[in-house]
Amino acid sequence: MPSFSRRDFLKTAAATSLASAGGWQPALAADEVLKVGVIHMGAISDTGWEHYQAEAWHALEKAYPGKVKVTMLENISQIQDCERLFRQLSTQGNKLIFGTTFSQYASLKKLAPSLTGSHFECCAGIEPGPNLGVFEARHYEGTYLTGIAAGRMTKSNILGWVGAFPVPQVIYGLNAFLLGARSVNPAATLKVVWANAWVDPAKERDAVAALVAQGADVVSGSPNSPVQGLAAEEKGIWSIGSTGDFSAYVKKKQLVSFELDWSSAHINAAKAVMDGTWKPEGRWRGLGEGGYVKMTTNTPELPASVAAEMKAAEADIIAGKLKPFTGPIKDQAGTQKVAAGSTLADNDIKGMTWLVEGVQGTLPKT
Amino acid sequence: MIEQVIPLVVATLVAGTPLVYAGLGELVTERAGVLNMGVEGMMVIGAIAAFAVTQATGNVWLAVLAAMVAAMALSVLFAVLAISFRANQVAVGLALTIFGTSLGSYLGKPYVGMALVVEPSALMQAAARLPLLGPILGQLHPLVWLSWLLFAAVWYFLYRTRRGLVLRAVGESPTSAHAIGYPVQRIRYFATLFGGAMAGVAGAYVSVLYTGLWTEGLIAGRGWIAVALVVFATWRPGRCFAGAYLFGGATMAQLFAQSAGIGLPSELMSALPYIATIVVLVLISRNATVMRLSVPASLGKPFSARA
Repeated sequence: MPSFSRRDFLKTAAATSLASAGGWQPALAADEVLKVGVIHMGAISDTGWEHYQAEAWHALEKAYPGKVKVTMLENISQIQDCERLFRQLSTQGNKLIFGTTFSQYASLKKLAPSLTGSHFECCAGIEPGPNLGVFEARHYEGTYLTGIAAGRMTKSNILGWVGAFPVPQVIYGLNAFLLGARSVNPAATLKVVWANAWVDPAKERDAVAALVAQGADVVSGSPNSPVQGLAAEEKGIWSIGSTGDFSAYVKKKQLVSFELDWSSAHINAAKAVMDGTWKPEGRWRGLGEGGYVKMTTNTPELPASVAAEMKAAEADIIAGKLKPFTGPIKDQAGTQKVAAGSTLADNDIKGMTWLVEGVQGTLPKT
Repeated sequence: MIEQVIPLVVATLVAGTPLVYAGLGELVTERAGVLNMGVEGMMVIGAIAAFAVTQATGNVWLAVLAAMVAAMALSVLFAVLAISFRANQVAVGLALTIFGTSLGSYLGKPYVGMALVVEPSALMQAAARLPLLGPILGQLHPLVWLSWLLFAAVWYFLYRTRRGLVLRAVGESPTSAHAIGYPVQRIRYFATLFGGAMAGVAGAYVSVLYTGLWTEGLIAGRGWIAVALVVFATWRPGRCFAGAYLFGGATMAQLFAQSAGIGLPSELMSALPYIATIVVLVLISRNATVMRLSVPASLGKPFSARA
């Protein structure tokens, strides 16, 4: 029986790393299959975030039939396990490896420079690093548009938002939601309730009940399941499919929705690796062709004038004429955060830790 | 004001109900001297069984029955290992939680993202017409009303019946109970099965009536709160019943306070059940007599007639 000692292993490993340290990346031969690894921290069956991440590599497989082999690991909830598995995927010859959540970013940032046999991409990462690309959706463009519908449809002028955790991604989403609503209805206010959980359907349902008790008649939030929409439907108020279209479940009272579509992120990265042109990039895209935000279902009850208003705003955002975080914008305390006529820089949006004027609720102190 | 209070009361009763079922079940189990930490796992199995049956038949009561059977099956596993083979109860209980949670996720795969539509029963519509309590009762499923009956039954059983006395005797001193001829192992089996069945009902309530939706992580630690609740209640049904609503209400109050613009540290409120349990543990263990009066003396200790 051939034996492979630890010394042999070290020799091979050293040789491999020397060979790959030169930064030279060959294009894949025409008949070679690109091995792609994906690690989901949650279950891909969550109907929300991880579901859309999985849709992306499904699209990748479909775009290159027989040319791409995806190895997927799901429900790896401990970051230590993710780290071990990222290494394992890399040593197993996966040339392109995806992390699906912000929580994996720190690990990937640490691992990517040393695992030079693979290229890494992290969804919702902060900034690209050596051998690590990041991509994130400007989903505030979606919440701005759904905010327009909410602002038009509310009768009580009270909107509700169920937040998962007070991270910038959630904060700029809900801020833009109210800015969108106020662009058509200056009297609108937004009540925020934090669930302090990414997935706890029972608590999300109760949060909706609490918002309804306070007079909210359109609710949105960061849902990973249709439960918020179902709870709202039961109470007879509108819900909005934010980062997910739940019209298949919420049959009557889903007002509008948008989805996250990451397929272009996966396909472009895979193509770059195949061509040998991959380099670490930070991509932050919203609406439009090749973007990560897609407007989906409107209820038939949405007045055509409102739908047209949303369409016009969407076209303006895609054309770059409308930027949701354009001043004057004040925070809750009334301090001016963005001066009239100027637009918030991307980095300020990414690091947003304040709520706009008209949001009723506080950020849990950290 | 009353419009603000009724939703809060209803939400508290709804949130407390799974804790009432799981807590009272675990309480009976522990009063017989068996510490089953697998409540979370049994709840998950009960939840998926009930969800699957509702999906297939649309009958909530059939679903509750299925949940009871499924969760009881899991508690039989516990009983065989921990009572018959006298394995460490804590270890088996933890294993049961891990096993139940994973098995539930696996069995639940085909049901992910499905939503159930449960029509309000005729009973609820009738109750809604009652004076005074109508607006509250009409929003609560009869399973909630049954949990109040369950509390009365458990209390009556433990303190007013001979069998209840025997069960408590088994929990205090299995050797004495055995010496005067009571089947200790069999009684412990029954107590464990009852605990399993009630955890199953609790799971069914969460998946079918509370959320009407299946996702992984649906139970979200409510089984652990039930275990903590029994300690918090110092093994007394009345305190267990009240504690369930206290713990359920703490979460609700926090959500309602947030939406009303009152700042409460929500993380601390989420940790309240565990903090309260630790405080109670500290209070009762300060005094050896109180400790002896509260905790079933043989809790967690395997019994062997031959020893």
